[in-house]
Amino acid sequence: MDFSAAHSGFVIVSYGLVALALFGLIGFVFWRDRKLVIQLQRLNESAKT
Amino acid sequence: MQKFANPAQFLKLAKAALPFLWAITALLFAVGLYGALVTSPPDYQQGETVRIMYVHVPAASLALMIYVAMAIFSAVAIIFRHPLADAAAKTAAPIGAVYCFLALATGSLWGKPMWGTWWVWDARLTSMFVLMLLYLGYMAIWQSIEEPTRAAAIARIVAIVGVINVPIVKFSVNWWNTLHQPASILKMGGPSIDTSMLWPLLTMMAAFGFLFLGLQLTSMRSEIAMRKLRQARLLEIGNR
Amino acid sequence: MTQQSIRALINRDIALARAQGGGLGAALGFILAVMVLVPLALGPDQALLQRLAPGMMWLALLLSVLLTADRMFQQDYEDGSLDVMLMGHLPFELVTLTKAIAHWLTVSLPLAIITPPLGLLLNIDTAQLPILWLSMILGSLALSLLASIGGAVTAGLRRGGLLVSLLILPLYVPVLIFGVAASTANLGPNSSTPALIMLSALTLMSLVVAPWASAAALRAYLR
Repeated sequence: MDFSAAHSGFVIVSYGLVALALFGLIGFVFWRDRKLVIQLQRLNESAKT
Repeated sequence: MQKFANPAQFLKLAKAALPFLWAITALLFAVGLYGALVTSPPDYQQGETVRIMYVHVPAASLALMIYVAMAIFSAVAIIFRHPLADAAAKTAAPIGAVYCFLALATGSLWGKPMWGTWWVWDARLTSMFVLMLLYLGYMAIWQSIEEPTRAAAIARIVAIVGVINVPIVKFSVNWWNTLHQPASILKMGGPSIDTSMLWPLLTMMAAFGFLFLGLQLTSMRSEIAMRKLRQARLLEIGNR
Repeated sequence: MTQQSIRALINRDIALARAQGGGLGAALGFILAVMVLVPLALGPDQALLQRLAPGMMWLALLLSVLLTADRMFQQDYEDGSLDVMLMGHLPFELVTLTKAIAHWLTVSLPLAIITPPLGLLLNIDTAQLPILWLSMILGSLALSLLASIGGAVTAGLRRGGLLVSLLILPLYVPVLIFGVAASTANLGPNSSTPALIMLSALTLMSLVVAPWASAAALRAYLR
């Protein structure tokens, strides 16, 4: 890509926004999953004891 | 489909599938981005800004497809009473909503250099905007209603009524525009897109699609865990 | 038996609306506010006002019906009347349809009749009045039906106001587009007929979808 071309800023911001949003989404989904799986494990352990 | 009705079975399947899904997603994005930003040519008229198409179009198409999927899941929930159908619709919504937002944002960023305006109420943009409202409304239902079975019952209706609405909105705005602006028909890249542009576009669409699958399965795992936790807590309160 | 029950339901709602002043009062107040404030907001350019008049009036009609949407089922839900109706001999979809029609008779239709003459405040071209009247009356039933979906979905919610708007707005977009198109078309070389046909089509669709959706939503709350 020619970064010096006209309006290249729009392209950069677009891709940046997409990257931000998608990584944010992935991060959120993973974090929530980790949190719940840990909680569930703790629950199973306390149920066995 | 009956196999996946059992949450335990579903979790086993998800566990097996997820690593592959993530790997494929990463590969598709790598290849797609390379094609979008490096190998594909700038457009004759639009210059480099045409590259926004490679994120805008996948986001928009998938946002639409995901909502349709949500409506189908909701219909399955009503007709077949599949226990995981509501969860599938619920978890798909935030992903679709993010895609929809990205479609609107990148579309706006594409529109400014191309048409000189950040926004225009043509058929496509208006229906995308309405889709965003539908996503927000659907998610708001799950947020506002505490009792999960009740929330699910209402959410199904919102999804199905919503999906009927989207083509109607698109049709009506299209009609409205042909009446008032016969001259400006906003095309995307011409009727026949060149192969050098087509394959990165399709790759990116597949990338967004596989990303959705990975996120969806992970989210469903979280949702199933949330349900178990909620049941356990309710039992605990009941036993006290 | 069914016809009597339906008539009884409608009469009940009309009587209730009359007794309480109902949504019509608030809706009327809103329309008046719009009709008075829009000219002041847009400035003295009479030509501009005339061009914008049909759109503004449809907007006023739409928003004022929207205002009354969340109370459509709320009272009956809260005092248990809906439970009784659910267990009655009328199919529940017929009940929700009847309630929507009662809403139309007590709110949307009166508003559709009252609003066009107020267009004089917006310097509307009097040649447009008949077609504006026709299209508003035709569209008003769809507005009530679609509003009933929003009202039913939020019937059990405390602060359902924003959600109601969020849900109904997308459904109103096609009605607004074809409604305004029908009202303005006779200005140019196009006739209003296609838009009016589309408006009728939307109304017919709402007649099918709205009772089903409202009934399903209310059932979820009444279980």
